[in-house]
Parts: sequence; structure tokens; C-alpha cells
Amino acid sequence: MSGDDWPTPMPRPGDDDDAGAEASVFAVFAPPETEIHGAPAGAGDPGPEPEADEPAATATPRDADDPVETGARGAQPAAAGLSVRSGPPVTPTANPPVGGVVDAGGADRGVRHRRRISPLRWASAALLGVWLVAMPLTSSVTELRQNTQIIVMVLAVLGVNVATGYGGMISLGHGVFVAVGAFAAAYALDDLALPWAVSILAGAAFAGLVGALVGLPALRIKGIHLALVTLGLAIVFQPLAKRVPAFSGGVSGRAVGAELVPPSWFGTTRWAEGLYRYLICLAVVGLAMWVTYNVINSRPGRAMRAVRDNDTAAAVHGVNLVASRVNTFAVSASLAGLAGALGIILVPFTSQESFPFQESLVLYATAVLGGLGSLWGSVLGVAIREVFSRIGELLGGVSGLGPLGEFLRLLDEEQFVFGMLLVALTFVFPRGLIGLFNRRRGLPVSPSSQDRT
Amino acid sequence: MDVVLLLQRIFDALFNSAIYSSLALALVIIFRSTGLLNFAQGEMATFSAYIAFVLLAGAAPGVKGGGLAAWIGAPLVTPVAIGLAVIIGIGAGAATERVLIRPLRNAPELAMVNVTIGILLALNSLMGQWWGTGPRIFPPFFPSSPGDHIDIAGARIRYSTIGAWLVLLALLLLLALLLRYTRAGLAFRAVSIDPVSAALNGIRVGPTLMYGWALAAGLGAIAANMSANSVLLEPTMMVRVLVYAFAAATLGGLDSPKGALVGGVVVGLSQTLIPAYVPFIGFELSVLPALVAMVVVLIVRPAGLFGTQRIERV
Repeated sequence: MSGDDWPTPMPRPGDDDDAGAEASVFAVFAPPETEIHGAPAGAGDPGPEPEADEPAATATPRDADDPVETGARGAQPAAAGLSVRSGPPVTPTANPPVGGVVDAGGADRGVRHRRRISPLRWASAALLGVWLVAMPLTSSVTELRQNTQIIVMVLAVLGVNVATGYGGMISLGHGVFVAVGAFAAAYALDDLALPWAVSILAGAAFAGLVGALVGLPALRIKGIHLALVTLGLAIVFQPLAKRVPAFSGGVSGRAVGAELVPPSWFGTTRWAEGLYRYLICLAVVGLAMWVTYNVINSRPGRAMRAVRDNDTAAAVHGVNLVASRVNTFAVSASLAGLAGALGIILVPFTSQESFPFQESLVLYATAVLGGLGSLWGSVLGVAIREVFSRIGELLGGVSGLGPLGEFLRLLDEEQFVFGMLLVALTFVFPRGLIGLFNRRRGLPVSPSSQDRT
Repeated sequence: MDVVLLLQRIFDALFNSAIYSSLALALVIIFRSTGLLNFAQGEMATFSAYIAFVLLAGAAPGVKGGGLAAWIGAPLVTPVAIGLAVIIGIGAGAATERVLIRPLRNAPELAMVNVTIGILLALNSLMGQWWGTGPRIFPPFFPSSPGDHIDIAGARIRYSTIGAWLVLLALLLLLALLLRYTRAGLAFRAVSIDPVSAALNGIRVGPTLMYGWALAAGLGAIAANMSANSVLLEPTMMVRVLVYAFAAATLGGLDSPKGALVGGVVVGLSQTLIPAYVPFIGFELSVLPALVAMVVVLIVRPAGLFGTQRIERV
């Protein structure tokens, strides 16, 4: 793809998809009458339920619609519909700053598009469902724990996605929030002797608080400079954590004394314990994704995206920039913190050692790889990460090939693979791999495009 | 307060200042011309230091194998190896621009972040895989035996510090001459100011930017090779240095070479002096004040001390 093929950063009236989506974000803002609370996407769209009964597996193909798409696109027909059909005082001209005219044709296309569920999406959803059921049944205790960790990682990646993809604030330091969540949960659990559920929520909440603090400078620092600051944060984190041993366990890390044990009727074998933890993690991850989905498609979520696309225009339309940016960062950090807190259920130990700055960068790479601005992009990113790590393991194990073997061993290095993928992806799939599922899906990598002139 | 000790600390800090200034200068050159921060600058520089390390195999204690030392006499081998490594670094910088950056010239900022972060991750991992993650002994760039110092008012200023500053000042002079008196330099300044007008005047923007990347990579490579002896060569060697350099560049103004120099001095001094007088910070956490300074500058005065104020068209 040559440089000239990039999606235009700013929508123009003539642009088909993007302009429609962007316009709708503002259209929903402008007139109070068109406010659509909750999930416009869900309304009147009877998606088929999948067979799997785990909470996260309520990943129906319909829900699989990317919130940017459904949110923006779903909101748009409603907004356009209100203005065109029932005719309250809603004028499409309420959004000249984005240069978008609410385009009813685009809206219709959006609707038609949403009804047709591609076989690829069906297959993916089915695959995910089957994996979620079959995996625990066929795994050993260790594998089950590792796989559960992978599922939990979705939340951390989603956190990056909320900040970068939806909020337009490039965050290269989300590993820090994962760590803070883990430390805070461990602290609540052991030092304050709080129950598990409270501790995990406390971990997420504390990480959210820290995230809000980090979000404060983001009010003034934008785009690439924010990327720089968050990278700095990721680098500073390790030495900083060593300085507060009461909280982080210092250099050696902190072991978690409490253990999450299933009730006796659930079984007492180690496998049953693992299954119990798996189910709990899956439930929390599913719940968190559902909440995130709704946040993204609520008024604050639309504010978030409006600020991402053009903060001046958003402010003109009544979005409180301060609140929106801080909110976004808090939500995103608490998702990462939740991932960290769930992590200590699985492995009762946490240490700054596990969160070098490279970890944060790999989280970022995973989010970009899956597709920014798409909830399912994050899931896809984690899945791809896992697939690549398995392939790498396989190839890295091959020996006796000389220089080729040397190269194959590099493929076992997650950082190397992700670095290369990140570079390659920018050229090949600028919308992330979720773009494979649908050309329009995923955010063209442009959260802060208006800074670049 | 012990004045001699303070003076000694300042002298010690000046070495780091020179390194930070060089790297900050490299960042500024790229930012000025392309408006993008090269997050991979530090890793690219480290890579060049590793190349010197490989060329030098056998020349330094703790390094196995033969290599360059077999052909060139012992006193010359270090400068030759480092020179070659810097040249390779320059070539790599130019190649990076041509292959990875130029095709994305119209892409949004995030794409650039992705590419440079990707290079950072990949190079960091590659170096760890090829040369091990542990620290390696790197031969000194300047005479560094315990007796190599000058005494000023009871404090010692080491030859390496003087050498680093001489190198930095020579580089600055060279850079100024290049930018002022060569056609490529003139083209570079034109492109930095306004790429579109420059292109309309017949300047080939792409090759000119490549020139900038080559210069920046060279500066970074020299900085890494100078400091590899004192901080020990390891894949993450330049990671903290990069934060300091970014802080220096931000403080001075991201588009101001003068700012990079001043910022480097300030950051270098504060990196040594703050931990010395604030016990909580300590050596390991000395990167924290740099980060805080960076955040404060970006909030209060995003243009830094010497940068141009940016006016945003709404």
C-alpha cells in the first residue's frame, strides 16, 4: 500500500463511510432530542444466541459488531431517522464543524451492512465458543491456568484500546496499570484482609484512580507527546515500584497469601480449582467487556470518540474535554487494573519484575494488531498473539539448521515478533487485523490525525 | 554543603550531559524535519555499539574471538571499529527512512508511532537474542585509567568527560557547517521549514529527509559508542538514556538544536545532583525527575525553552 492510499484523516462531505460515522457522532451530540442512551446497536436487532453458555461467549455475532461501527453507525440511522421521518427540530446542519452532512444513504447502508453477518464472523464466533467450552475440558491444570491468563489479558489490551482507539490518546504504558491493579488487589487482600470480590474491584478502582491522575496531563499533552510521556512512565515504573516495598513487595515481589478456593460442592481437585477460577475470570472478563461496550456506546463514549476525532469540534458541541479525557483514561486504566487483579487469582504472586517497559509495548502492539477502535479487535489481538507464540514455540524448537535455526529461534521471542508485526501491519493492514473481517471495521490508525498538518 | 564534592558531582554529570545532548540533538533533527519522535533512536544507537563490539572481538578483556584486531594494530583498533560501526549506523538510519518511513509520509501520526515502537521492540529483542541480555564490557572510547584526569579546585575532571565534550562540540560544528554550506544542508533546512514549498522549488524531499535520518543515526551511534564503556553494553542500555534525551529535547524545545544542547546539560546535571541531595530518589529512580520535568514542560510551555511556539489552526 503506498502512502497515498491512506484514509483521509479528516472526513469531508463527500467521503462515504468515515464521514458518515464521524458526522453521526456529532449529530448525536448536537441536538438533545436525538440523545440515544444505552446501546442503539442492540435495539431491534435480534442476534442469534450462541450455544455456549459462558458469559463471555454471549459473544454473539451481532455483538461482535464493532462499537465504533454500531455505535456510530447505529446511532446515525436513529439520528437521521428522527430528523427525517418523525421530524423533531433536529437539523443535520447542526454539525458543520466536522464538515459532515448527515447522509441518509450512508445510514441505510450501515443498517443493511449490520444485518448481514458474514460467514467469517459466524465461523470466528463459533470457534471462540467451542474453544471456551472445549479448552477447560481438555487442558491440564497448568494449561488451564495459562489459558485463563490469556483470557484475562484481553482486558489489559482492551484498556489500551479504550485509551488509544476510542480516546485517541496513545498509551504506551498500560503495563503500569496492570501492575498497579495487581499490587492494589494483593494489598487489599492481604494487608486489609478484604474478601476477594472487594479486593479485585479495589484493584481495578485504584488503577482507575492512578489512570485518572495520568490522564490529567493528557489534557494538555496530546498525540505523539503523550506517547512519549506514557513510554517514560513505563520505563520509570520498575525503579519506582522498588521504592515502595510496602505496596509492591519491592525488589523480590509480593506473594499473595489468600487463595481463591471453590466451594466444596464444586470439587476439591486441583483441576476443579482451576476450572472454578477459569469460570470466575471468564465471567468477569465478559462482564467487563459488556460494561465497556455500553460505556463506549453511551453519551460519555460518544464524547470520547468526538474528542478523539476533533477535540475543538467536540468542545463546541458541549463536550467537557477535561471530564472526557480523564474519564477515558480512568476507564481504560481500570480495565488494565482489573486484568492485573484477576491475575493474582491465577498466580498468587506479583512483582515489578513482570512489568518491564517492553511488556507495556507488547500490550500496545497487541491492541494495534487486533484493531484499534474495535472491541473485538482486542480479543482478536490476544488470539493472534497466542497463535504466534505457539508457532514461535514450534519453530524455535527446531534445531540444527544453522543461521536459519538462529532466525527461527528469534520467532520464539514475543517482542521480536510483535515489533516486526507492528511495522508490517502498519503497511499491510492499517486498520488492524479486525479489518480483515470487514473493510470498514477498525479505526484507521489516526486517533490524533488532526495534530499532523 | 561540601563545595568540592558538589564540583566533583558537576564534573561527573557533564559526561552524561554530553551523551544526552548528542542523543537529544539526534531526536531534534528528526522532529524538526518530519515532526515525528523516533522512539527507536536509542535502540538503533545501541545496535551500532554492538556492531563495534563485534568488530572489536578480541580487543577488550572478556570478549572472545579474533576479528578486526588481527589486521589492525592494537592502539588503532578501537577508533577504527567504532568508526565503522558509526558508518554502518548511518547507513542503517538512511535505510530505515527509505524503507519504513518514507512510504508512510502521508500516514497519520499513530502509524509513525507504531513503526518506531515496532523497531524498538524488534531491535531490543534481536540484540538480546544475538548478544545476550547481560552487560558486556566495552573498550573505552577515551583514556579511562584511574589516573586520567585533571584536577580543578580539588575536584577531578576526567579525560572521558573532556573528550565527550570535544566530540560533541566538533559534531555541532560539523553539523552547522553541513547545514549552512552544503547544498544538501540548505535543502534540509528548507524541507524542515516547509516541505511543500521546498518540493515546489524542486527540492527532492524524500532524499533530503533520508539525509536527516542518516545524520541523526550517526549522532546516536556516536553517543552510544562513547557511553558504552561507562554504562556497560546491554540491549536496554539506551532506554533510560532515551528518556533523559527526550526530557532534554523537550526542555530545550523539540525543534531547537540549541535547546537540545542546553537541555542535555540541565538534565545531565539534575540526574546526578537530585539523587545526591534527595535520598528517596537514589540512583535508580533518577529517571523520575526527568520524566516529571518533561511532563511539566509539556504542560506549561510545550515549545520548551528555545522551541518555536506552535500555533494550531482550528
